[in-house]
Amino acid sequence: MSAILELENVHAGYGPTSVLHGVSLSVPEGGVVSLLGANGAGKTTTLRAITGGVRWSGDIRFAGRSLRRMSTEEIVRGGIAHVPEGRGICTELTVDENLRLGSHLRRDGAEVRKDYDRVFEYFPVLKERRRLSASTLSGGEQQMLALARALLMRPRLMLLDEPSLGLAPIVVRSIFEIVRSINLTSKVAVLLVEQNARIALDMSSTAYVLEVGRVAVQGAGAELQGNESVRRSYLGY
Amino acid sequence: MQEFLQLVVSGIATGGIFASLALALVLIYNAMGLVNFAQGEMAMLATFVAYSLVNRGMSFWIAFPVTLVLAFGGGIVIQRVVIKPAERAPVLTLVIITLGLATLVNGLAGFIWGYVPRSFPSPFSPDSVDLAGVFISYRDLGVIAVSGLVLLCVYLLLQHTTVGLTLRAAAHHPEASRLLGVQVSWMLALGWGLASAVGAVSGMMVAPILLLEPNMMQTIIIYAFAAAVLGGIESPLGAVVGGLIVGVTVNLAGSYIPGVGGDLQLAVGLGIIVAVLILRPNGLFGRAAVRRV
Repeated sequence: MSAILELENVHAGYGPTSVLHGVSLSVPEGGVVSLLGANGAGKTTTLRAITGGVRWSGDIRFAGRSLRRMSTEEIVRGGIAHVPEGRGICTELTVDENLRLGSHLRRDGAEVRKDYDRVFEYFPVLKERRRLSASTLSGGEQQMLALARALLMRPRLMLLDEPSLGLAPIVVRSIFEIVRSINLTSKVAVLLVEQNARIALDMSSTAYVLEVGRVAVQGAGAELQGNESVRRSYLGY
Repeated sequence: MQEFLQLVVSGIATGGIFASLALALVLIYNAMGLVNFAQGEMAMLATFVAYSLVNRGMSFWIAFPVTLVLAFGGGIVIQRVVIKPAERAPVLTLVIITLGLATLVNGLAGFIWGYVPRSFPSPFSPDSVDLAGVFISYRDLGVIAVSGLVLLCVYLLLQHTTVGLTLRAAAHHPEASRLLGVQVSWMLALGWGLASAVGAVSGMMVAPILLLEPNMMQTIIIYAFAAAVLGGIESPLGAVVGGLIVGVTVNLAGSYIPGVGGDLQLAVGLGIIVAVLILRPNGLFGRAAVRRV
């Protein structure tokens, strides 16, 4: 399988503070890769580097093309949907308006309508609340809205930053099931940042564990889960 | 009673003028979190442009849309040239920039057109229509119709078009919007263009009532501030309602409260600002700043 996303020796940081010290990883076309590690290891910064939210050096290639010197808007328009930490919901707008922001650049009307139907099948609650302000949604519903909106961009790659954060375990499970099914039916590749290592490894073909800005361990999801010393030292369960 | 109704109607007309300028203030406040102190001066400059066009023999109803387009373009240019380089600067820096811009535009207009007040032709007939004993001037009705139409257009643009949607998203949530492919920087420029055009409407409507000179908008902007603050500074609808309330209040106070008629009229506007800030700091349509963490 060829890689849709490749990071090669990426260094990045905020002003004088550098956070990533040479991260290399790759996400295969249509694959699910998770990025694990403790707080402050650089997981979020890695995602932000990919969509141009932070200065970086090294190389990042998406679908074979370097993302160097591209603006966030251009990168996103190229087919990467980034659901940021905190979900990035526009709380001033209604649920429907948030969804429309996801599809606003697309010109394939008939396909967009099909995608809306699909999204409402995954998340019926969003259809019920279409006209309400997004600020009235619960945390789990906001996460669903963020995923739905990302899906409506019809991306080739989704970057998900801690989709489980602050959600009840049962909600987390259903959200991950949907992510899995989106990945399988639409062939969207997923790069998943998670604190909840167990649930992330269950669905990932490959996983990388970051430690202070470097890849400390990498391997197949099942392999890392089976390796007790890795589990104890990095994944905390 | 008749006199009262006449005062209310002409108050609504002036209110429409305040509402247009207040809406311009709100559009920019939403886009960058501060009030554009140059808004009134930009409107005055646009009105001088309209004046020059009309003076060259152009009909008012052609000069009007031409001026709006020029004001729109001018707003975008100002944002790109003056505001964008300081985008990441502290709010105070931007406030000083808009104050400087106000002085600059004022001086520029004085330099080109001088400070002698000029009469600006009203496009409406000076006659009045008799509606069941209440005499309402066509000028008031015309101002109400034009302001109402412009405000309606802005409403439709913001609420019912994709551009309006991305404009609102970029103003309130720039980071999240960028990740959805919205070109945030251009949306802010578009906001400036739109505000500049809406403000120009207030200038062109008020110029026939006052006289056209570089300081013409300096009292109007105070009323517009009052209207915007009353409406909750973030709410376009609030700006319009606030504008109408301020217009009618000032008009009634001027006639019924002894002494307010002349110089003290502006104090009514300032009084409204102070009262709102004390009694209801979020205005009529504003919401308390609550953030989910």
